[in-house]
Amino acid sequence: MKYLLQRLGFYLFTAWAAITINFFIPRLTPGDPVTALMAQYQGQLDPQAVQSLTVLFGLDKHQSLWEQYLSYLGQLAHGDLGISFKSFPAPVSEVIGTTLPWTVGLVGVTTVLAFGLGTLAGVLAGWRRGSWADALLPVSTFFASIPYFWLALIAIAFLTGSGSFLPSSGGYEPGLVPHFDPEFIGSAINHSLLPSLTILVSSVAGWIMSMRNMMVTVTAEDYITVAHAKGLSGRRVMLSYAARNALLPSVSGFGMALGLVVGGTFLVEVVFSYPGIGLELVQAIGVKDYPLMQGIFLVITLSVLAANLLADLAYLALDPRTRREG
Amino acid sequence: MSFASTGSAARRTMAPLVVAAISLALVAGCSSNPGSANKGDGAGGGASGVLNVGMPQGATVKNNSNPLLPTSAAAVLGYRYMIYEPLAMVNLVKPTEPAKPWLASKFEWADNYRTLTLTARDGVTFSDGKPMTAEDIAYSFQLMKDNKALNTAALPIESVTASGKDVTVKFGTSQFVRQAVVLSTLVLPKHLWSAIADPATDTVENPVGTGPYTLKSFTPQTVTLTTRNGYWQDAPKIKELRYTTYSGNDAITSALTSGALEWTYAFIPDAKKLYTAKDPEHNKLWFPANLSADGLWINTTNKPFDNPALRRAMSLVINRQDIFNQASAGYFKPAVESITGLPTPIGDAFISPEYQGKKSEGDVASAKKLLTDAGFTYNGDTLQDPTGKPVTLTMTDPAGWGDYQTTLTIISDNLKQIGIKATPEKADQDAWFTAIANGNFQAAMHWSNGGATPYDMYQNIMDGAGLQPVGSPATNNYGRFDNKEATQALADYANAADESARKAALATLQRIFVEQMPMIPTSAGNYGAEYSTKNWTGWPDDSNPYAPIQPTQVNALDVVLHLKPAH
Repeated sequence: MKYLLQRLGFYLFTAWAAITINFFIPRLTPGDPVTALMAQYQGQLDPQAVQSLTVLFGLDKHQSLWEQYLSYLGQLAHGDLGISFKSFPAPVSEVIGTTLPWTVGLVGVTTVLAFGLGTLAGVLAGWRRGSWADALLPVSTFFASIPYFWLALIAIAFLTGSGSFLPSSGGYEPGLVPHFDPEFIGSAINHSLLPSLTILVSSVAGWIMSMRNMMVTVTAEDYITVAHAKGLSGRRVMLSYAARNALLPSVSGFGMALGLVVGGTFLVEVVFSYPGIGLELVQAIGVKDYPLMQGIFLVITLSVLAANLLADLAYLALDPRTRREG
Repeated sequence: MSFASTGSAARRTMAPLVVAAISLALVAGCSSNPGSANKGDGAGGGASGVLNVGMPQGATVKNNSNPLLPTSAAAVLGYRYMIYEPLAMVNLVKPTEPAKPWLASKFEWADNYRTLTLTARDGVTFSDGKPMTAEDIAYSFQLMKDNKALNTAALPIESVTASGKDVTVKFGTSQFVRQAVVLSTLVLPKHLWSAIADPATDTVENPVGTGPYTLKSFTPQTVTLTTRNGYWQDAPKIKELRYTTYSGNDAITSALTSGALEWTYAFIPDAKKLYTAKDPEHNKLWFPANLSADGLWINTTNKPFDNPALRRAMSLVINRQDIFNQASAGYFKPAVESITGLPTPIGDAFISPEYQGKKSEGDVASAKKLLTDAGFTYNGDTLQDPTGKPVTLTMTDPAGWGDYQTTLTIISDNLKQIGIKATPEKADQDAWFTAIANGNFQAAMHWSNGGATPYDMYQNIMDGAGLQPVGSPATNNYGRFDNKEATQALADYANAADESARKAALATLQRIFVEQMPMIPTSAGNYGAEYSTKNWTGWPDDSNPYAPIQPTQVNALDVVLHLKPAH
């Protein structure tokens, strides 16, 4: 219990530190939302619009950095993330609400799939050394070593285009309304195939490698020999004795990977124009949309912390050695 | 243990997923997608009455059809002009053409463009069936007057009065140079808008205007508009307009070539190979110039670049055709040939007789002569200023702006011919903006303002009224060009009471620009677009430039009203 409270306290402190850094960093960079917006339109917006935009965004009130920080914390305490400048006057929470499900859906599912497939393949590769399974690692590592955006661009160049079943961009067919029906869900799945395939291909190697190497270590242990000697089936020894123990490092890795789903995906989303939170973040940075940037950073920070906390707990449950008695 | 047995294990874990997917399909089976009727026969087209429009505005847009907010989906995608209409339609690709009366059947300026009298057109209704009256027009101006955040053009409105069918708007200063802006004011329905608590933050999810279209559906990716009954003019042939947002120019290019997108405004590098050559019969682009100039802005407080002879010599050797063909992919920003910096042919009517046809190009020898006559000397191949120091220049633009970076490389090569070592540099975009505003730069490619007259461009480059010392941020005249005569001529032009006084002021401005070359013009801004003639014809082009073709300009409505099915 004491251990758990310590961990919780640590996570709370980290969250506060992250929120504070999130607040100050965008404000210390040069540039402001109004000029960024004017620049984005490069002369297409009336030059006089600077005045009206400043008033519109409420930037004409001069507040010191400290006052802004206090009011930001106050807003956060009420669950208010502020108003996005880029999509003014949409609240940040609404912007995040429409983009986050796409990211979690695409990358979350793909991460779980990659973990599952990679771990399974790693178990096989580690157990059946010297067979065809040895080829799994070099082949998957080859794909993992190609920079992701390059792999995705090649996939777009060769697999999409007019007449292809696979679309090159977007989250669903233009014209469809996001709605819970077969047509929309089918279109969304269709649009997610290529991005998720490319993520899978480029990320599965890591799981295979860590699992295979742990399997190799574990299979040398005495208890495996004993299990074999007891006359248990090979499959039972592999899964229940070897893989179960070999899995521990992968579990904490999986926790980290899940936490990074939200933040580590902007490349996928930029290349495939996927309407997720990573693409939104890239654009928010481009136009100095502080409230939106902070909101997205907050979501990323909290999801990483939450995933870490869960991984901590899972480890606590799985491995008795991490528990301290008394 | 065999591979098959792990296979069956995998099948076991798949089973619940399959069941879930099937039950999902069954549950959802009874409802059909509200947008599925939209899909029609796929890519749209003349037969189905659909036109697909797109803009690179990010992967999603938020539900916001407030026409007055520059950040709303209606503004960034351009569909606000299909729902809300202006008082008059100004054709900025033919700026000398009189404005076409639109919601105002008549308009008249008086008191040296300080008073505007408008007559509300008869028989115009909003899409909710209520008639449009002078009250609505007056309200639209009053809203800007009362609400600084909504007055995006900062119009100095002093009073608005409506009587009968007429509306009189009085301005604090002469609006001669801002006529186009004033007349482009959109008319809002007073009976709905006066009930809105804060028009500056309302997202107007059910926009009601006098235009031929109404909002059919809004999704973060695509906004669909459909025609309405009771439009005051001939109804458009296009039954449905679909505005899709794309994450960037790459996504736009592939959508254009696949036919999913028929009208957009985006920069396509190597457009000939990537776009027009894919279907030369239908894939078209038209990029007419507007009255603005991109060019090399020079910090004129910086020695020896405070010497006009040096700036003129530099202008003489810069190869504008190379910049057009390489940096603008041969289409995006038309080259500015006139020595006055005004793009042609659009600016022809404004160019003084003495500069008609005069191009800003020369040979290296005449540039060198200009320099040596002004006291510069050569040490071998290196140009030295009158004090004997070699002339060097650092030219800076943001790293990601490929077209400007290419331009800087070309200029650097050109200037080498007259012995100037000009180094292109890449900068962080935000730091660059701050540096430009504060005058902490030697030279940079930058655009100028544009408008219905050359005033906006010259004012942006030469106005001494807002002159700031280096180190204080300026919103205008970034080059710190200090010339009292130019400042006076600009004020004279904006406030002149008659045409001859305006002509005289403009001639003065051009003379100062040519003699002093405060900024070295290279290319013009554009009102262009990429479009497809596969399903719809009747687009404006060089042979019939009836409107700027950009889908986010107010004239987009005029373009849509001109389009006819191709088959």
